[in-house]
Amino acid sequence: MAETGAESTLARPWRRITTWEAPPGFNMGLDEALLECEESPPTLRLYTWNPQTLSLGYFQRFADVPAAEHAESVVRRITGGGAIHHANELTFSLTTSANDPLYRGPIADSYRRVHSAVARALGELGVEADLRGKAAVESDREGTGMCFHASTALDLVWDRRKGVGSAQRRRRGRVLHHGSIKLGTTPLEGDIATVGERTGRSQVRELADALERALAQTQGMRFAAGVPTPAERALAHERGTRFIDPAFLRRR
Amino acid sequence: MRPDDRKYLETHEWAKVSGDTALIGLTDFAIHELCSGNEGDLVYCDLPETGRTLEVGETFGEIESVKAVADLNSPVEGEVIEVNEAIEDHLEILSSDPWEQGWMIKVKLTQKSVDHLIDAEAYESMLAEQS
Repeated sequence: MAETGAESTLARPWRRITTWEAPPGFNMGLDEALLECEESPPTLRLYTWNPQTLSLGYFQRFADVPAAEHAESVVRRITGGGAIHHANELTFSLTTSANDPLYRGPIADSYRRVHSAVARALGELGVEADLRGKAAVESDREGTGMCFHASTALDLVWDRRKGVGSAQRRRRGRVLHHGSIKLGTTPLEGDIATVGERTGRSQVRELADALERALAQTQGMRFAAGVPTPAERALAHERGTRFIDPAFLRRR
Repeated sequence: MRPDDRKYLETHEWAKVSGDTALIGLTDFAIHELCSGNEGDLVYCDLPETGRTLEVGETFGEIESVKAVADLNSPVEGEVIEVNEAIEDHLEILSSDPWEQGWMIKVKLTQKSVDHLIDAEAYESMLAEQS
C-alpha cells in the first residue's frame, strides 16, 4: 500500500492517551471532549473497554441492531456507521484540526492516510491487509446493522473479510476518526478478519505500539504520552453520561 | 465561481437572504467532501423542527455519509419557520442541486445583518488555501 506524507512532512507533535479497560461512557465522552475542545492538542487515543460493549452508530436505530439486545453493555458513538462489539480489539481515535495534514482535502484521502498506517502496523504483526477496492468480501451480510458486516472500497480487509472498522465525525473545523482493529471475534460479530486468527498473536499492547510507530513513520507524527486535562475530563464526564442514557440509546 | 447572491460560513453553510428571511443550505464543496461525488454515499440528514430559535454558529442539524457525520451550523440568527421535507427521502437533491432545491431550512431573521459571513469570492479563496 502506498504511504503518504511521511517524507515531505516534518514530524509534528501529537499527544498519546492510553486508557485500558475503560468504561463505555468515559470512552465516548472523552472522544467527544477532544473533538469539542479547540485548545486540545492533536491526540491519539489507544483504548479498550470494560465491560465489553456494543456501540451503535450515531444515527442507528436500536431496533435495527439485533445484537444490541444480547450485549452486556450498549453505548452510542458520536461517529456514524454500523454497530461494533468492542471486545478483543484495539480501539483508537485520532482527533485534531481538519487542516492537519492527516485530514486535509477530501475525506476519502484522510481514510487512505489512516489506513496506510493501520496496514503498516498490521504488517508488522504479520497480517497483510489491503484496501477492499472492488473485491468481494465474505464478511458482508444483510440485516445485522454491524459495521464489520458492511464494507466499502476504503475498508481494510484480509482473508477476504473486513478486519478494521472506521468512522469519522466532523465538527467546526475539527475531525475525530474512530478505528477498531480486531484481535479476535465474538458471537455477536461472527466470521470477520482478526489478527489472532491469522497470526496467533492477540496482544493488544503489541498492536497499539505497532500502530503508534506506523503513524509516526507514515504520517510524520511524533508522540508524547499524556493524560486528559481537567477541562477535558470534566467535559468527558458531562458528555459521557449522554452516550449511555437509555433514552439516548433508544432515541431512534 | 459559487453563487454571489448569498453569503457563506467558513464551515460551508450558505445563507440566501430575502427580506426578513433566509434560506440555509450546504455548499457543493461540503457535499462533495462527504460523498466524493457518489450521491448514494449520503445516508441521513437530521434537520430541526420549525419554531426552534438559532444563534449564529449553533448546530441546527447533522448529515451522515458512509464516511463521516458532520454538523450543520447556522450562519444566521433567527427562528426556523420552514424545513425542506423533501431532503429526508431524497438526499440526492443535496448533490444534484445544493444551491436551489437543496435548501435545508428557512429562518425568520432576528438579526438582519449578515456582515459576519463571507462572500462568494472570499469563500473561494478559503477553499483554494485549504486545497
